[in-house]
Amino acid sequence: MPVHDDDRDPLDDRIRDLARDVNVPPPTPRDEMWQAIASRRRARPARAPRPRWIPWAAAAAAVLAVGIGIGRLSVPEPSHPSPVVADAGPAPRVNATAYRLAAEEHLAQSEAFLTLFRTSLERPGDHRLASATARQLLAGNRLLLDSPAARDEATRRLLEDLELVLAEIAQLSPGSPAQDLDLIRDGIERGDVLPRLRQAVPTGTVLNHGAL
Amino acid sequence: MNDRELIGRVLAGDPGAERALYDAHVDRVFRLVYRMAGDLDRAQDWVQETFIRAFDRLAGFRGDSALGTWLCSIAISVSLNGLRQVRRARDREVALDDAGLLGHVPIQADPDLRTRLGQAIEALPDGYRAVFVMHDVEGYTHEEIARTLGVQPGTSKAQLFRARARLREALADFARE
Repeated sequence: MPVHDDDRDPLDDRIRDLARDVNVPPPTPRDEMWQAIASRRRARPARAPRPRWIPWAAAAAAVLAVGIGIGRLSVPEPSHPSPVVADAGPAPRVNATAYRLAAEEHLAQSEAFLTLFRTSLERPGDHRLASATARQLLAGNRLLLDSPAARDEATRRLLEDLELVLAEIAQLSPGSPAQDLDLIRDGIERGDVLPRLRQAVPTGTVLNHGAL
Repeated sequence: MNDRELIGRVLAGDPGAERALYDAHVDRVFRLVYRMAGDLDRAQDWVQETFIRAFDRLAGFRGDSALGTWLCSIAISVSLNGLRQVRRARDREVALDDAGLLGHVPIQADPDLRTRLGQAIEALPDGYRAVFVMHDVEGYTHEEIARTLGVQPGTSKAQLFRARARLREALADFARE
């Protein structure tokens, strides 16, 4: 049943007026908050050292390589001068196929990574490895987003939402407060990122290199 | 200077632009967060967290929504997570000492009714509470709420409808007076 603004009970207006008198904000303490913001940003720890090789990172690196391949495929570069050819038909089809395959693999790896990461949130621990993997996936994600073959709007939206989540995970450091993890969990859930990833990955997509 | 120019300058490393961006939006963010938090210290913490996150993520801001909407979206997310932590901490306190210290609600007049209303708002599920505060208290439209919370306008309307119903139920005694 649709809900309309005029589905109002007479008591609603009284409640609304009273509610405006609850938790009335005082004047904004802008200087005080700005000083705290500036000092917290200055005091943040330097980035964690690059962690050792891990399987997740290997998988992400594979995506990166595929992405670079896409970039090359997407921008044909003739090796020698050639006469102008009017019919460029087949090339985009090849590019689109390469893009689709690379995107499917990237999305499958991202889905596996986020599933593992979400599970890892249930226990305290060091998220440096996840952060490094997210950085690698982020690079592949960016290549896919920037590819001229990225025409499908739904995939593009999904890659954009995935980018935000991966960026948040990439910023995790050993000193990150629990609130950061809550926000990431929230980001994954609010954007329905995992269900959309699962939907975007065709059943039976095989993760190349089996790294995850 | 518009938001786009301001963002460009912030990303170029201009500290003056960071402060200008903060100044342009902090009042709206603070009002919203304070309404959600109901406590000055908490509100200050959450607003600071909001801007720290915003500066960290500014390069990823794609301009799909207004900068103010994007900031409010971060603020709401920070506030809801903060409220969850507050609730968890209170649950632990209550378990240790059932002293009835729940519900910090500043009381300005008509204490019984306002206290009850404050507690009823605080007891709303997170989504209902955010929509009620944004729409009925701070005057956002359903479209603005939808963009901020990442939901459909219809969802915002439905949540407001349910939030009002819960508040009416909680204040039913007063309605009969």
